Amino acid sequence: MEEQIAELAAKLAELEAASAGAAVTNTMFAETFYYLTIPLMIIIHAGFLAYEMGASRLKNVLSSGVKNILAFAFMIPTFYFFGWWIYWGLPTGITGSAGPAGISGAEYASSIAFGWGESAQYMGPNIADQASGVFFGAFALFAATTASIMSGAVIERIQTVGFIILAIVLGSFAWVVAAAWGWHADGWLVTKFGVHDFGAAGLVHAVAGFFALGVLINLGPRIGKFNADGSANHIPGHNMPLTVTGLMLIIVGFWGFLMACVIVPGEAWSWFGDKPATIYGTPITLSALSFNILMAIAGGIIGAWLLTRDPFWMMSGALAGIISTASGLDIYFPALAFIIAFSAGIILKPCADWLEKRGIDDAVGAVTVHGTIGLYGVVMLGIWGSGYPSLQGAAGEVPTINLMGQIIGAVVFFLLGFVPGYVVSYVLKMFGMLRIPEGAELAGMDLVKVPAEGYPEWGGEAPVTPAHPAE
Amino acid sequence: MFPYDEVSWSAVDGAMFMGWGGALPGFTTVIAMIICVAVLVVGQKSEMAKTKMFDK
Repeated sequence: MEEQIAELAAKLAELEAASAGAAVTNTMFAETFYYLTIPLMIIIHAGFLAYEMGASRLKNVLSSGVKNILAFAFMIPTFYFFGWWIYWGLPTGITGSAGPAGISGAEYASSIAFGWGESAQYMGPNIADQASGVFFGAFALFAATTASIMSGAVIERIQTVGFIILAIVLGSFAWVVAAAWGWHADGWLVTKFGVHDFGAAGLVHAVAGFFALGVLINLGPRIGKFNADGSANHIPGHNMPLTVTGLMLIIVGFWGFLMACVIVPGEAWSWFGDKPATIYGTPITLSALSFNILMAIAGGIIGAWLLTRDPFWMMSGALAGIISTASGLDIYFPALAFIIAFSAGIILKPCADWLEKRGIDDAVGAVTVHGTIGLYGVVMLGIWGSGYPSLQGAAGEVPTINLMGQIIGAVVFFLLGFVPGYVVSYVLKMFGMLRIPEGAELAGMDLVKVPAEGYPEWGGEAPVTPAHPAE
Repeated sequence: MFPYDEVSWSAVDGAMFMGWGGALPGFTTVIAMIICVAVLVVGQKSEMAKTKMFDK
């Protein structure tokens, strides 16, 4: 009898040791999962860098790169200083009150998301906290993505410091408010209206796209873009292959972006012990993402090819495919995702042309690809996904996805982007901090701002495009 | 619509995509296939028309 008890005790100790080991493994897996999304999302920035530099004329190629790199650099510390706090502090609205899930409000945010006082323990190396740093990192990269979206639209005429101020307002404030309201279990758009935006079509892409529109209105077009009669000239970038490759890199990085939208199971902060969830606590699998992202990329490319035959628009179509389905990547059927993405690829170029006809010089089509298609995606989910619970919870106690809710979400995302973009750029314009002087624009921003040459062996003799606007 | 009687994710233990249990998945698959074929047909026609412009 004593022998059997000893044997049982030994087995119990063995099981406990195995269970502790499994817990450590799961924690390490969870930490590694988010950690890996960070370099994947940095690939988005490699893509934006290549894409913007390729879309710039030779005389501006390096200054476009400098602007993009610097936006990334300023986004990280400013998101650390206050962006992370905003995400946790404002889900229920500007009052900063606590929400029903108990993970929001000014008090909660001040206890976990400030780099001073007791809260600082969650904002730096801590052997007992293997989650805060990787979550912060993933969110900071979301923030940097919004800045890069705006960055492409304004190339070749914006001042560097003015641009950085705009990037900080967008990346560490505007989109974060949208995320707090529509991408958090306590977010009022979610709890009151059932808004569902799994892959951030509205709260990242549309906010950034329409922020860019607000800036473009005050910034004005590049010299030579429009003729006296209002017709537009095409200003080709100096390197289309670089631009197209950059777009492909952005798409590679988006796998990391969307992976970071998944909450892994089995941790104290997880929604479930045994299955991954969306940020709303609704179940999801990485397999769902694989099916739908791939079909969406394909649909967007095919739609854009049908209409344009242009590799720039085809790869933009791939992005539009992902963005148009991002809100519901967790629940779309792959063939439906393909059809929605195909339609996004079709409408892409006409939407960009429509904007251009209104005097907006969006150098890379960012307002359309991210803004218009982002809102299109949010609304599409309202049409196709109505009736799906938008939060985890018992039947009847949680809101469901509905068209009106998605439209309200789309309007809020539009305003959260456009209004700060317009107002801050207007103020910068008043202080002469928005646009570079005409002489510098004509000479080329690299000559004025960058002590290096992009192509020193042949750049100086390259033609300047376009020539002068038609009289 | 949500493909389970109880409108809660707690009731879901399998397929959870839109249209599960109905005709939508099959219907959209057919539409997607038709799109692919149609785009290739249109693409071929328009490319042929353009290449003919360069015939000598």
